[in-house]
Amino acid sequence: MDSFVSLFHGFSIALQPANILYCLLGTLVGTLIGVLPGIGPLSAIAILLPITFYLEPTSALIMLAGIYYGAQYGGSTSAILLNLPGENSSVVTCLDGHQMARQGRAGPALAVAALASLCAGVAATFVIALFAPPISQVALMFGPAEYFSLMVLGLIAAIVLAHGSVLKALGMIVLGLLLGCVGTDVESGALRMALGLPGLFDGIGFVPLAMGLFGVGEIIRNIENDRHQSVMQTRVRDLWPSRDDFRRFWPATGRGTLIGCILGILPGGGATLGSFAAYTIEKKVSATPERFGKGAVEGVAAPEAANNAGAQTSFIPLLTLGIPSNAMMALMAGALMIHGITPGPRVITSNPDVFWGLIASMLVGNALLVIINLPLVGIWVQLLRVPYHLFYPMILVFCCIGVFTVNNSVLDVMLLMVFGFFGYLFIKWHCEPAPLLLAFVLGPLMEENLRRAMQVSYGDPAIFVTRPISAVLLLAALGCLILVLLPAFRRTREVAFQEEN
Amino acid sequence: MSRIKNPNDVMVGLVLIGLSVFALVLAWPLKPGTLDAMGPGFFPRALAFLEIGFGLAIVAQGLTRVGEPFERWFPRQIFFVLASIGFFAATIDRLGAVVAIAGTVLVSCLARRETRIIEAVLVAAGMAAFVVLVFRVGLGLPLRVWPWGNVY
Repeated sequence: MDSFVSLFHGFSIALQPANILYCLLGTLVGTLIGVLPGIGPLSAIAILLPITFYLEPTSALIMLAGIYYGAQYGGSTSAILLNLPGENSSVVTCLDGHQMARQGRAGPALAVAALASLCAGVAATFVIALFAPPISQVALMFGPAEYFSLMVLGLIAAIVLAHGSVLKALGMIVLGLLLGCVGTDVESGALRMALGLPGLFDGIGFVPLAMGLFGVGEIIRNIENDRHQSVMQTRVRDLWPSRDDFRRFWPATGRGTLIGCILGILPGGGATLGSFAAYTIEKKVSATPERFGKGAVEGVAAPEAANNAGAQTSFIPLLTLGIPSNAMMALMAGALMIHGITPGPRVITSNPDVFWGLIASMLVGNALLVIINLPLVGIWVQLLRVPYHLFYPMILVFCCIGVFTVNNSVLDVMLLMVFGFFGYLFIKWHCEPAPLLLAFVLGPLMEENLRRAMQVSYGDPAIFVTRPISAVLLLAALGCLILVLLPAFRRTREVAFQEEN
Repeated sequence: MSRIKNPNDVMVGLVLIGLSVFALVLAWPLKPGTLDAMGPGFFPRALAFLEIGFGLAIVAQGLTRVGEPFERWFPRQIFFVLASIGFFAATIDRLGAVVAIAGTVLVSCLARRETRIIEAVLVAAGMAAFVVLVFRVGLGLPLRVWPWGNVY
């Protein structure tokens, strides 16, 4: 029951006026970028990262987390009203949500999405509060060998659960690890691959890398397919779902939440995967699968519950093991480290305010989101009319000024340009850059633990398989790799991501 | 081009090989050390070799497995968006935020032929004012505002 006492402590932090304000700000921004199709939460958080330097670490995290789960709410709005996923994780919401809107039931569809997200958000918060402390206790027993193996598992799992070519994802991971090597070697003090540029002595900046790959690359891409979306002229009336809707709503939300929570915790998991899985499962267990795709309430509730639950529980591996499970959590890890907090099992004990404040803020944020989303939905729809060609120069300016003010470094702005170009190339060549960012964050940790493990074992690599936990983790990683190479699994994986296109 | 089944993969593979050879050259002078006492060069070198292997495998995959053709390129968009960032980098230190921001907006607007000049100018002025107010006045960051202004 300690967890609940601590959770109350968390509320005392999350309910401070300033933190409520940042939570509101985060959820507002999240909703905004969720609604706007041009920009995803990854690029938005990358762009806003520099601004959080001037906040308290707790406030900064509360705001960033708000953006992430807020985007899950906002994404459903444009999915339902425009058949346009504002965000990857709301792709499946389009299927039934938009059908409901076309049948004149946009209001109930939005309400179902918001309520499902709220239920899932509340449940996920308690899941984190209950499971995070014990996991961090286990993690405290980890030695360098276990940590190294855990990171290997994290990186491999990230590939399996992502879509696209496995080989290319592996290539991206190694490239990320290589980029992570740049700068001063912590152990020997030697400069590595810094090209003699003083700006690189501390390593490649996380902000220009993330912002370039995800922000700038995406902007160029979006200008290319700049087409005007016609906003559907639906009047959103009668928000409240009918009694029949509610009968279908509860079980679907429950299953969606469960699936989202589980998939969120897994390495490589997160919001998107959960929503796809929840939709597929909901269709399987339904007595009337033919209603799916024609406006089934379950088809909105389950994926929306799952993506919100997954968005929140993916914080567990980051805050307990120090392992970001996806690119979004890699950004959060970056934000923590900027504030001098190393993500890992010690966060709960050494920075209880940050940990419990963040968790409690998720409850606050979810409540705020329902308020932001339902009555104000008209405003968000209006925003969709801001033309992208006036919007992207503003984003670019924020990118530049954001990168520059971190270190007052012109080199960082140049790096932003270089990485932006690469980000664009990778998008063009159908190569997902998310594993690169994950590997970039994990790289230095991996190297440090590898070197320590090898020192401990006097240079014997067998340490990774003779220590039981490490061996199990490596076996799991190997299993993931084999799984993804099996033809049967590959086909299912392709089918699962098919609906995305 | 009939032999290349998936040009996207081939290009990714070649870029990865190029980058890792470059990394290998940079990391070569670093001491690799021994297994029980790894030097600064061990990890980068091992990664570079691994990456060359992956690069070759990706090229091979591109040669044998059918994939999508190249997407169309839009040199105008790429050039002006990157150039606008370059403009910012070149001017922010010496000419100050107003010039840098206005220039970034105007250059980036060139990426799209249809944008009207008046729109671009309005956005430029608005952004310059907004950023100066928020970052300089509000947050008090060291930022030169005008070309003749001070950083602090």
